[in-house]
Amino acid sequence: MNRLYCPFCGARELEEFRFHKTLAEPGANAFEEVYARTNRLAVSLEHWQHVDGCRAWLLVRRNPSDGTVLDVRLVAAGDMPLTHESQHESA
Amino acid sequence: MRQLAPKYSAWSLLRARWAGNGYWRPLWTGAKLRDAYDIVVVGAGGHGLATAYHLARDHGVKRIAVLEKRLLGYGNVGRNTTIVRSNYLLPQNHYFYENSLRRWETLSRDLNYNVMYSPRGVIDLAHSDGDMVALARRGNAMRVAGIDAELLDTRGLARFAPELDPHLVRRFPVVGALLQRRGGTVRHDAVAWGYARAAAALGVDIIEDCEVIGVRSAAGVATGVETSRGYVKAERIVFAVAGHSGAIGAMLDVQMPIETHLLQAMVTEPVKPLISSVFVYVYPHGEVYLTQSDRGGVVMGGFLDGFPSYTREGQWFRLEDVVQSAVALLPQLASLRVLRHWAGTNDMSMDGSFIIDRIRYDNVFINGGWCYGGFKAIPASGAACATLVATGTAPDLIRHHTLARFQTGRLLDERGAGPFPARQ
Repeated sequence: MNRLYCPFCGARELEEFRFHKTLAEPGANAFEEVYARTNRLAVSLEHWQHVDGCRAWLLVRRNPSDGTVLDVRLVAAGDMPLTHESQHESA
Repeated sequence: MRQLAPKYSAWSLLRARWAGNGYWRPLWTGAKLRDAYDIVVVGAGGHGLATAYHLARDHGVKRIAVLEKRLLGYGNVGRNTTIVRSNYLLPQNHYFYENSLRRWETLSRDLNYNVMYSPRGVIDLAHSDGDMVALARRGNAMRVAGIDAELLDTRGLARFAPELDPHLVRRFPVVGALLQRRGGTVRHDAVAWGYARAAAALGVDIIEDCEVIGVRSAAGVATGVETSRGYVKAERIVFAVAGHSGAIGAMLDVQMPIETHLLQAMVTEPVKPLISSVFVYVYPHGEVYLTQSDRGGVVMGGFLDGFPSYTREGQWFRLEDVVQSAVALLPQLASLRVLRHWAGTNDMSMDGSFIIDRIRYDNVFINGGWCYGGFKAIPASGAACATLVATGTAPDLIRHHTLARFQTGRLLDERGAGPFPARQ
């Protein structure tokens, strides 16, 4: 896994992207949302941002055991409540 | 009876000289996996072996097995940058790591195995006034706890480490440092081998190539582990698999406050003595910590790669970062070539501190969440974890490092980075 495919910019070096968070299970409570991780070895659903590119927020489906990227799409409105920090912090 | 290595001494060296190389025996091999044990330790790395050693030595547990998926020392005990120190800010952390550092000082004698503890000094560099204030605060917290710490200005730094020119123009200039003289390095492989030998001598069965794939339970109590070599009954089970504690959580169906990230290290070609101590150079967008191994290679490490992974394949850009930071700090390294680089999987906990606690069952324990600070913790972790497992009560040293702290809000957030493991 050396590149990630951005829907706007195409395949770009991984360095341009920043991993934000592994998504919690659906129905997770506030504690689980912040602190608990399921650590699925086969499929992990994550938020990334193309910080050094178009700055789009991405929903990435990945296999952390072998590094294959299964799917990348834009985060749709309502998918993620952006935190104050993540909105303002630069890479 | 297995024939294991004899006690090492000047006398044993002489006898070996006289008897030829046939005198030397394997350190730990030859154990056969039995059907049942009092305690099964999963993971033959530093923490697993140290836990088994202390269970046998301090608590007299007779039937102990250490099960290892691959080879002894294949994981992070063989992949770290060998640095030991106890310069932590939070009392819960610095008391623990200081206990560990004291054990490092006598470990070679305790294990009868030279682990090459070298107290060459750990230098945390400051690049701004704000940094100096933060380091002074950390140093003061340490000194209050009786741990050695010295704040150095550029003149003191130049005296202690003449190879570093503090006046060189850098994007992040060097304005001072926090020095811990007793910090330094330990030969990492020797730690695994030394603990393995000492544990095997006390009757611990070390079984390599034996992967644990599940835990069997009855009536809410764990009864044993399913392994790639069949079922093994166990009264108590300890997971010491840091780097893969997340996977253990998945196996036990427990959500863990842990993400698994990669951390890289690299080593240059060997050269004559060039770097006298351990340098840690952290600035907003990069980091390098470097030291020179006894063989002469400059060992370097830096930030995490930044996203969860179990692949042990480091990212090129991080390697570049680390090397650039190293050359910015010590331009004389520019002509060296990197010989090898590698990555290890790290349990990154949500507050940057470790976890030694029960998990899911009353008789199953987890020793993990070490982030990138597991190696220096090995001696204290083994002793404290063994006490918890043998007596059922966590000793004071680790009583704050529970799994429940994330729910109660008593976090041990050393860096104040919040619940973002990638930034711890």
